[in-house]
Amino acid sequence: MAAEEDSGEFYLRYYVGHKGKFGHEFLEFEFRPDGKLRYANNSNYKNDTMIRKEVFLTPAVLKECRRIITESEIMKEDDNNWPEPDRVGRQELEIVMGNEHISFTTSKIGSLVDVQSSKDPEGLRIFYYLVQVRFEVLCILSYLTPLQDQAYLKNE
Amino acid sequence: IEGWIILVSGVHEEAQEDDLHNAFGEFGEIKNLHLNLDRRTGFVKGYALIEYEKFEEAKNAISTMDGTELLTQTINVDWAFSNGPSTGAFKRKNLRFVSINMLLSLG
Repeated sequence: MAAEEDSGEFYLRYYVGHKGKFGHEFLEFEFRPDGKLRYANNSNYKNDTMIRKEVFLTPAVLKECRRIITESEIMKEDDNNWPEPDRVGRQELEIVMGNEHISFTTSKIGSLVDVQSSKDPEGLRIFYYLVQVRFEVLCILSYLTPLQDQAYLKNE
Repeated sequence: IEGWIILVSGVHEEAQEDDLHNAFGEFGEIKNLHLNLDRRTGFVKGYALIEYEKFEEAKNAISTMDGTELLTQTINVDWAFSNGPSTGAFKRKNLRFVSINMLLSLG
């Protein structure tokens, strides 16, 4: 299993969002095998701006991502007993790492209380803590300025 | 991106921001330091991002500190961002094709 960390394909996509009063509000980022990190954040609250950012990450960063994912053991989980997406929202996590591929879909998780009361608290807890890294990704992305000239992509 | 950002990996789980300031401060003024905590364990996640204003400062930090020891643990130091795609073993244009391929090969 350790070999997966250093070789082979790596791809990660995370999405969290919901459709409601203010349209389709979501946050999504994508780590691509060639190192490109794409980020999109859409909300129609108060204004119509979609923020997009893109940057190329070095192999050193991707290697660290793989280490964190491997350590979390998320690749061993499955979402069969996880709560279905609902009106409150939806999360999607897709990871390709070497020969392994996971694709999870679940609802938003408000807190550990939601994790504990679910049908698969152990697995959902792993997912919950792993997606906490979205705050770190946002931290990294705060270094970047949005791609102003890609605002037109909002209509996708 | 204004400054030059490096990634330090292999950071000891009990490291504090001061430890990184002490080790990396000599190369130049640290404009930003991210040392994220693992919310589950409370310990450091294992990596840090450091921003310098000047290219030379970051470059010196990388060449001097990569492979050295910090708090008894070996750290690696490298650039965080790059100009373009990295040429790896897999160079494919259509990502979705790759994912489906993976699914099919898993049976």
